[in-house]
Amino acid sequence: MSNTVDDKIKTFDTRTDANVPIESPLAYTYRRSGAPAPDKNSQAVLHERPFLGHLTLRGGAIVLDEALRSVLDMSLPAEPQSLLFDASGERSVQWISPDEWLLIVPGGEEFELENRLREALGDAHFAITNVGGGQTVVDLEGEAASELLMKSVIYDVHPQHFPVGKGVTTVFAKATVILRRPSETRWELVVRRSFADYVYRWLLDAGAEYGIGVQR
Amino acid sequence: MSQPNRLDRGGSIDRSRELSFTFNGQSYRGYAGDTLASALLANGVDIVNRSFKYSRPRGIVAAGAEEPNAVIQLGSTEAAQVPNVRATQQALFDGLEARSTNGWPNVQRDLMGLVGKLGGGFMPPGFYYKTFMAPASMWMTYEKFIRKGAGLGRAPAERDPDTYDHVNRHCDVLVVGGGPAGLAAALAAGRSGSLVILADEQETMGGSLLDTRELLDERPAEQWVAEVTAELEAMDNVLLLPRTTANGYHDHNFVTLHERRTEHLGETAPEHNGRRPVRSRLHRVRAGRVVLATGAHERPLVYGNNDVPGNLLAGAVSSYIRRYGVVPGSKLVLSTSNDHAYRAALDWAESGREVAAIADARAEPKGELVEQARAKGIRIIPGAAVVEARGQNRVSGARVARINIDDFRVEGDGELIECDTIASSGGYSPVIHLASHTGARPTWRDDILGFVPNMVDGVQAAGGVQGVYATPEVLAGGWTAGAEAARAAGFEALEAALPSVETRHDGEAVALYQVPHQKATLRAPKQFVDMQNDVSAAAIEVATREGFESIEHVKRYTAMGFGTDQGKLGNINGMAIAARCLGRTIPEVGTTVFRPNYTPVTFGAIVGRHCRELFDPKRYTAMHQWHVEQGAEFEDVGQWKRPWYFPRRVQGRQESMHDAVARECRAVREKVGILDASTLGKIDIQGPDAREFLGRVYTNKWAKLAPGRVRYGLMCKDDGMVFDDGTTSCLAENHFLMTTSTGGAATVLEWLEVWHQTEWPELEVYFNSVTDHWATLTVTGPEARKLMSEVTDIDLDRESFKFMDWREGKVANVPARVFRISFTGELAYEINVQANYALHVWETLFAHGEKYELTPYGTETMHVLRAEKGFIIAGQDTDGSVTPEDLGMHWAIGYDKPFSWIGKRALTRPDTARADRKQMVGLKPKDPKVILEEGAQIVFEPEHAIPMPMKGHVTSSYYSPTLDSGFALAVVKGGHQRMGETVYLPMVDGQVHEAEIVSPIFVDPKGERQNV
Repeated sequence: MSNTVDDKIKTFDTRTDANVPIESPLAYTYRRSGAPAPDKNSQAVLHERPFLGHLTLRGGAIVLDEALRSVLDMSLPAEPQSLLFDASGERSVQWISPDEWLLIVPGGEEFELENRLREALGDAHFAITNVGGGQTVVDLEGEAASELLMKSVIYDVHPQHFPVGKGVTTVFAKATVILRRPSETRWELVVRRSFADYVYRWLLDAGAEYGIGVQR
Repeated sequence: MSQPNRLDRGGSIDRSRELSFTFNGQSYRGYAGDTLASALLANGVDIVNRSFKYSRPRGIVAAGAEEPNAVIQLGSTEAAQVPNVRATQQALFDGLEARSTNGWPNVQRDLMGLVGKLGGGFMPPGFYYKTFMAPASMWMTYEKFIRKGAGLGRAPAERDPDTYDHVNRHCDVLVVGGGPAGLAAALAAGRSGSLVILADEQETMGGSLLDTRELLDERPAEQWVAEVTAELEAMDNVLLLPRTTANGYHDHNFVTLHERRTEHLGETAPEHNGRRPVRSRLHRVRAGRVVLATGAHERPLVYGNNDVPGNLLAGAVSSYIRRYGVVPGSKLVLSTSNDHAYRAALDWAESGREVAAIADARAEPKGELVEQARAKGIRIIPGAAVVEARGQNRVSGARVARINIDDFRVEGDGELIECDTIASSGGYSPVIHLASHTGARPTWRDDILGFVPNMVDGVQAAGGVQGVYATPEVLAGGWTAGAEAARAAGFEALEAALPSVETRHDGEAVALYQVPHQKATLRAPKQFVDMQNDVSAAAIEVATREGFESIEHVKRYTAMGFGTDQGKLGNINGMAIAARCLGRTIPEVGTTVFRPNYTPVTFGAIVGRHCRELFDPKRYTAMHQWHVEQGAEFEDVGQWKRPWYFPRRVQGRQESMHDAVARECRAVREKVGILDASTLGKIDIQGPDAREFLGRVYTNKWAKLAPGRVRYGLMCKDDGMVFDDGTTSCLAENHFLMTTSTGGAATVLEWLEVWHQTEWPELEVYFNSVTDHWATLTVTGPEARKLMSEVTDIDLDRESFKFMDWREGKVANVPARVFRISFTGELAYEINVQANYALHVWETLFAHGEKYELTPYGTETMHVLRAEKGFIIAGQDTDGSVTPEDLGMHWAIGYDKPFSWIGKRALTRPDTARADRKQMVGLKPKDPKVILEEGAQIVFEPEHAIPMPMKGHVTSSYYSPTLDSGFALAVVKGGHQRMGETVYLPMVDGQVHEAEIVSPIFVDPKGERQNV
């Protein structure tokens, strides 16, 4: 079996259709630290969305934008610290650095998407890296969400400074997360797999005063 | 009467809510709204502490943060102990228990009092300095006694039941201080729509307006304060933080605010809805602009026995009367250099108690307040001052005499006036502490007799901190500062809307700091400058006589302004005395530097939630739960938790580490073992210039590595020293996967980016971390192939899948890349699978591995096995001073590569070519039972006189079950040429181990076992 697109780059579908157990980065944490169910008093609610497709795009904005438009009918956010969704709201692309974007799509789409993007990009100078096994998405909602974030991240999360459609990479307690605001009420944290336990436990601790719950 | 000094009326206390508390074991009562200090004064408690050095009785002097004496220990239980609380800042709550920090067996009858005189003699000015100087070894002895005597409070010995946290805040305008200037500034900035934080250290906003005699809009000032506070509270864009001290002003307008959230409610946070709220919170504020409205502290006058209980600041007397309905005595003498202090006498007289006299240092006092005092028939003695207080445990009288300030002398004997309270005022010192934290040196102003702050960018000051004291000007200045700050943040400021205040006409103040005495300073009764550190005017004079001229030196010599006091009351007086002794002006003497924190901050608030389980991130691999369930012991590698070894239970007893590691080592050498190697750094490298880039960052060659092949690489810093190593696989012509050491992952990625972005941006290549994406499972040992063949569709034939090849396929039905690389020297397969599947793959291997006795092994076994093969660990066997040549790894250096790689130039220096550099060798102890100590020094001549020339050291050392002997890796000077020689390792206990220099490859030197 070979997944080679051409002989220059080796792409690889890391997923399987076989019926094998799969574990989210928080699996161990749920077992050890628990997941208090949200109730009517919960002013903050966490919800993990594991197993999504995560691709890191590196390259020039113009070529990546063209490829993304042709393949996904989405444009690339050229503005630093911005985040765009497709019409369905299931696919997002976020500016990470001047030559780096994070594309998150429904789990299982990423391999074919990578191949189609590579085809569209042709000889351009770029890189696409599948990082889906290495990070997970944690949603944070509730009226105390931004207050909870103020206890956790140094970055200014005031709505004036952090409007919907913004996303940044920032310090979270003693770790790093990608923090994004897809809607008025929802925040997303993109968390590295090995730091997920720490980030989750931190959020549970900091959120205790807001009656934080975890939706599973 | 239970509270003899309490008035029937007045103050903002709630007389309907009586609270009980104890001080030094004695029960007292106070009211809601009291501070501990006001309640103690209400109860007629004179002595609150014994002084630090002389053990003199001390009473309450001030009403705020500047209080030097009433520094108390709080807490009824061991766990609730809090040291260094100022009674003037502690709100009273029911059941409060407080103790003096000094005085044994108690402050009233202090045994140390006797010793005090003696102790004082023992501790002349410069005591610390001198004890530090000689002999150094004695400091440890002195220190114990000083601590015991000094009693500066103590930390709790039990676990704190409370929690503390941090909140990060951002605002357009931070206003520090909620007095008239701060309130006006917050109002101006708040109404403009900008994001405002207003912090004030007191229980309520208002500052000086809380005890002023002035009317705002012809109403009591509290009413205006209440209205403004309510308006600000109602604004969404304004955050009011009472009980919050701005303790540190750091770079870039980063200010730390310490909010005491529950300290007014109880000694530990009372439960609320079944939860205990945080006791205090550190607000880490990043402000666009900062408005400092920190006000001013009154300066006491420095006169004889000015520390006897009953000597207070004039302003504090007014505060206690007007805010708390407490008159701290029955008969007052006021000694002042200015008009404003007359308030104390007026407030005192209006409480129905006697004012014996006002000693005014000015020859012709005049001004509205002076006239009011005259109208009340209060005796004013012009051109005079209190030169000495009388009394032991409480003031019993004041000697008032005419003074000549210019000549610094007393004229005549003066008179002794009977009284129990002396209030003094030598003027006001702007609270410039925060402004000084920024590094800006303050400027002396003769017109206000004080230092005013200089400002760095982004900060403004208003009111008392600028030496502006008249209320109308303070309010206007506050508004202007707030409006300007908002405007700078892009908001439109509104017209000023401020209450009308009648302008009061004050007479001019006179500069008086130390009051002259009939006797010379060195013989006069002690005239205290810094009561917390027991520094007297005489001590400062001694310091200047001993040649200390810089105020910074005088400070260190005398301890003036040390510690938690930070010179709030005493510094300016101390500088003035130094100036007098040196014949200079105050600005010539200059000021010392104030440092954070302004008042003590509990460690809990500094730490926040970064403690215990949340102290530091713990990084886990996808198989962590399995390791835990198998009873693994863990080792910290960076932030990762890696299994160290897997002890088994043998006959009901847990295996020792030695036995477990020996068993794991044998399993790998004889059967098959498995290691969770997921923590290794992994970097995905893509681009047409990827190969060229590798050639430049690694010492060895990459031009010909074919797809499907793997190569070991060494990385040097530009100084030619090894800094990381690992294998890199060629996935395709333009696609590589680099591995790094666990600890080096982030550093290596940054290193690649730095060189790419700054030196070779023309190379078309991108790097991305995939460390967390892939889990890595290492299956190694003679049975590895058999085990792998049961779970993979990859052709494992030794001819088609050779050592240093990689293949892709499925392992346990999961897509995997498998690498034939070996860190054990045995046949090995490193399996990379997407981390979410890793536990399944791991467990499947165990399901098939039982018949091969598949054994999990940890990092310790990994270390032993790799060391037996002479494989280095960067950072253990190297320390930033080791070249590839030193490691004997000439085979991994491509000197003839066309492009000069990082470190090449450094390796051509004569120093890196020296024959006597420390070079890596193996060491075989002569006694196989000896395990040499890592770090042990190596000598060639054990009989050499000390100091022996040290010729190297042990970098790695273990017991090898394969060799049944200890063995070690070491670096030895010229070691490569010393094979077979004997070296010596003298140990701390006097033993000297002998070892033979051997090849660092102890097992399978030809590599036949891994290449099968």
